[in-house]
Amino acid sequence: MSELKPTNRKAELLLDAVDDGHLAEVLSMETVAGCATTFDPGWEVDPFGGVASLCQPMEADLYGCSDPCWWPAQVPDTMNTYPNWDAGKPSAPADWRNLDSVFPKK
Amino acid sequence: MPTATLRAHRCARLALSWMLLALGASTVAGTAAGATPKPDLIVTGTKPDRLFIIDASTRSVRAEHRVPGAEGQIFTIIISPDQRTAYLLVDRMERIVGIDVRSGREVFRADLSTPQERVKCFFAMTISPDGKELIVYELPTKLEPSEYVVEDPRFAVFATDAGLSAKAVRSFTAPRRVHTLLARPDGRSFYAIGFDLYEYDVRSGKLLGTRGIQHWQIPDHTTPDLLAFWPVTEPTGIFTSPVTTEVKRGSESVPTTALMVLDLKSGDLAYHDFEPLSALIFSTVLSPDKHHAYGVYTTLTSIDTVAYRLERRIPLDHTFYDINVSSDGREIYLGGTNCDVAFYDAATLEKKAILKLPGCSDQVLSTLRVIHDR
Repeated sequence: MSELKPTNRKAELLLDAVDDGHLAEVLSMETVAGCATTFDPGWEVDPFGGVASLCQPMEADLYGCSDPCWWPAQVPDTMNTYPNWDAGKPSAPADWRNLDSVFPKK
Repeated sequence: MPTATLRAHRCARLALSWMLLALGASTVAGTAAGATPKPDLIVTGTKPDRLFIIDASTRSVRAEHRVPGAEGQIFTIIISPDQRTAYLLVDRMERIVGIDVRSGREVFRADLSTPQERVKCFFAMTISPDGKELIVYELPTKLEPSEYVVEDPRFAVFATDAGLSAKAVRSFTAPRRVHTLLARPDGRSFYAIGFDLYEYDVRSGKLLGTRGIQHWQIPDHTTPDLLAFWPVTEPTGIFTSPVTTEVKRGSESVPTTALMVLDLKSGDLAYHDFEPLSALIFSTVLSPDKHHAYGVYTTLTSIDTVAYRLERRIPLDHTFYDINVSSDGREIYLGGTNCDVAFYDAATLEKKAILKLPGCSDQVLSTLRVIHDR
């Protein structure tokens, strides 16, 4: 933890828990307020450090990642925040060009 | 021809096809009772709201049903014991809809969320062996005006005869991070697969036992990891899933793929290493003779479950998420991604056919089930 610096108060609380010996009370959860069902790192690399074992092609995996909120850093959260991101675009191989970027609402 | 008319025409054709096939099946059954097995029917769903029933013997769609309230995708598919109803996890994991497989009529609906509480079911649900109760894993979040309050997960039980506004008849505490539920055939308990393998009493909700996954005790093996949210147990009544672990060999740790095998009837649980981690496998299924398991991801894999060794592996046209096997063990069915349902020879892993589903919408993790006419 010495190389990680908290950037907000919740992260500071995590460090406090470590210092106080209460780390076991910090539990991983799923499908909470936003869109974080797992802690998978994402599409960058496969378990072998390369890309050959990622889903192929990417379109075969696109909605399989957005619909269950698998990798919210890479695909919009259609489970809670952007439910209509893929509306009218039911085929990722055919419709991927029509998928837009999303931006937080002001 | 207007779209609606075209759709009605196609539905009528599909219904007629179903009737003719059913008539043919019953005629065969009538002339040679028990001699000709009924063809496998494959069940899968696609975006945004379609349920498909596929005749595996003719590689054709027997029925296409629109699922009311699906709102984008069909995740887990649970089949009633009489194989007449498909229970579907839909609407961003907040609704369960029951569809009569033959007619397409909606016969059950449970909305898990309320205006005050958002409830998600992360893939995990099962049905009692008598078909009377659905058990659903619920992840509730209370939506307060200024904050979201994460509540404890729970198992909620619904009566399947509750119609289109079903409410939970009872609920009890559940552990976090559960992704598969499997009812045991004696009707008294069910398994929940998460960080560990839990068994719960259906009536009381009492935790009856906890066994490895994360707490497995196998010498020289690290904590395993698994991705298991396709609750396929047909045709054997045995659930299997690939797990990955590391095996200590001397000073080295070797990433290894193993197979988790859970017999729902006997409760026997086993893990078998079968190869160094050389290819990812998302899901597996056991052959009817229990001598082979087949696994899928971007390759199709055949595993000898007597010696627990890799038999064959072939590359696929694209990634498939889930797998099933024909009732006679001769063919492997693949689905879950794109609009392709693939048929492979179980002995040679030779590709036999690809069925493009009408409309060619993505299946998106939808469970691939095998049923039969009743």
